[in-house]
Amino acid sequence: MTAPSTEAASGLRARLQGRSELGVAALLAGIAMVIAVDTANIRHTAINAGVMGPQVVPTIIAIGLGLCAIALAISVLRGGHADAEDGEDIDLSQKAHWPTVFGLGGLILVFALSMDFLGFVIGSALLFYGSALLLGSRRFVWALVIGILLAVGTFYGFVLGLGINLPAGLLTGIL
Amino acid sequence: MDNLTLLMEGFSNALTLQNLLFALIGVLLGTAVGVLPGIGPAMTVALLLPLTYALDVTGSLIMFAGIYYGGMYGGSTTSILLNTPGESSSVVTALEGNKMAKAGRGAQALATAAIGSFVAGTLATGALVFVAPFVVAIAIGLGAPSYFAMMVFAFVAVSTVLGSSRIRGLASLFIGLTIGLVGLDGTTGQPRLTFGQPLLSGGIDVVVIAVALFAVGEALWIAAHLRHGTPATIPVGVPWMGRDDWKRSWKPWLRGTVIGFPFGAIPAGGAEIPTFLSYVAEKKLSKHPEQFGHGAIEGVAGPEAANNASAAGTLVPLLTLGLPTTATAAVMIAAFNQYGIHPGPLLFQTEPVLVWTLIASLFIGNTLLLALNLPLAPLWAKLLRIPRPYLYAGILFFATLGAYAAGMQTFNILILLLLGALGYMARRFGFPVLPIIVGAILGPEMERQLRRSLQISAGDPAALLSEPLAVVVYAVIVLFLVGPPLVKALRRRFGRGGPTEGPRSGGGSSDDNDGYSADTESTVQFDAFGTQTSDGSARVIRVVRPRAGRRGK
Repeated sequence: MTAPSTEAASGLRARLQGRSELGVAALLAGIAMVIAVDTANIRHTAINAGVMGPQVVPTIIAIGLGLCAIALAISVLRGGHADAEDGEDIDLSQKAHWPTVFGLGGLILVFALSMDFLGFVIGSALLFYGSALLLGSRRFVWALVIGILLAVGTFYGFVLGLGINLPAGLLTGIL
Repeated sequence: MDNLTLLMEGFSNALTLQNLLFALIGVLLGTAVGVLPGIGPAMTVALLLPLTYALDVTGSLIMFAGIYYGGMYGGSTTSILLNTPGESSSVVTALEGNKMAKAGRGAQALATAAIGSFVAGTLATGALVFVAPFVVAIAIGLGAPSYFAMMVFAFVAVSTVLGSSRIRGLASLFIGLTIGLVGLDGTTGQPRLTFGQPLLSGGIDVVVIAVALFAVGEALWIAAHLRHGTPATIPVGVPWMGRDDWKRSWKPWLRGTVIGFPFGAIPAGGAEIPTFLSYVAEKKLSKHPEQFGHGAIEGVAGPEAANNASAAGTLVPLLTLGLPTTATAAVMIAAFNQYGIHPGPLLFQTEPVLVWTLIASLFIGNTLLLALNLPLAPLWAKLLRIPRPYLYAGILFFATLGAYAAGMQTFNILILLLLGALGYMARRFGFPVLPIIVGAILGPEMERQLRRSLQISAGDPAALLSEPLAVVVYAVIVLFLVGPPLVKALRRRFGRGGPTEGPRSGGGSSDDNDGYSADTESTVQFDAFGTQTSDGSARVIRVVRPRAGRRGK
């Protein structure tokens, strides 16, 4: 009796392989749960007592997302898939290069968190420089020069041209 | 004619020196950014939006009109000189355009695209002048139930008709609706999905959503799969056309316009279907059908005209009903909202000067585009060789800048990152991005119309069917949803050699008229919840993927 069960297990594993889209289905279900919980916590007040309260639409969306999650999971398990997006600079034959993706995401995060301290010019110059290096530029000086020019140019363009003051941060008084 | 007087007034408004300068800047920047590989029209418009923040409403709309047409023209230049376009509306242009460029006829391909865009854009904008007031006259008498029905129609169209997979389209739509839910409820002021975060109570800025989905998501996705080395671009001189090229182009331009405009004008939007239909039509009507696939000029002229005409057509539902049906239109709604302008039938009454100035500037932008782009084409071609690390680093730079400038909040950059990750995921798993942004923008509006309908009837849902237009729209939706699978199922049952052939036998142009693009159809059959929700698909899956075969690996 052991043979069929291991076979079933390996069958399951084979089925799960290359089915990372199940994670998307789980995410959809998760969002549906969050909406459901959030909607359940909406306070009942006199204002809400109208014909259609603020809970109706979120409830519909949560149900819709939940149904999509289930349908997507079934579809994926049955072998359904859609093509990943192609483009001029995209080479789908190679696997996703995660260090680059997370590196870029990290740079944006650092940029956001350090904006008040570093200011726009330093932060965005570093964002450009770091992104260019992560994306494979090996002209270390050039990339930095372009980043600084871009950042300073944008800063003055916004202040002088559009009248929008970007935060100067560390360079307050210098710029 | 009343609208002609109004249009003339719009022209006199738009034709000041300052406004012409704005239009010129818009066209130049729009084309320059749109030419850059990996940047489609929607991303061009989203990235350049911050530039218009400091201008007055008229100036910024004029600049916007330039950016809009410039970005589209830039996209077709890219697809002719580089092939494999990222933008779905340029896919068809690339088919023949790139072949022409490879055969040394790039100058002619660019010329027929530029002149065809001009002809189609001008004619279609002219059609807009006459159609829009007519639609407004009808729309002004419509009540909430009809608006609600039309929004449902727009949702169904963008999520289930345009994409390759219905289930993914619907999932995208619901994600978009969820994003639109964030913030204080418009009617009762109750916070929804704000998680106690006061910065979320105003909702997520549409500019941030657009930039995140189109710019950050795209840049991250490309970064993950960046092709090593720049793809070969084809150098090109100043575009020109010989006598024969003119003779072969002018009819496709006109036919493309006729095909493109109505498709843009119905709130089902999208340039994919009309460009494809135009291509098929030109292939059938051409005196040189053997040249198709090897660089036939008709195959560039027709689809390019259809693309531009449908872009002008999208402005009909956008301006008269407030319904965005393409990604670019969705971003334009965001631009309007920046100034507290809400497109819809009332806009023509409350802001007639503004609307007609915008329409006039579309004519001006179109003309400037032609005048500039023919001589500048070699320069644009050089832009294609920009080193990719700088290009995508620059996109991230301007995306974060745009998100920050939208509310001067670093919090916006965090949202940008989160939604950028969502955009990455959508591209990875083939979820369409358009339903996300349309859902986020139209969701709150739809809820308002639903509430209004039910308020009038004191909660009776039958009120949703109380207007004749609403009933018609629902009937069309049902046809949309049930029609294509039913036709396929019937055809398989009666038309072809029995069920053994399966859906795979469906190929060729007759099958493609159902609105699904040819290249997605081959993948559809694997998807039991995709476009072919018939009993046949399940059987095909088993045939395609034998269980024993998978287990062995």
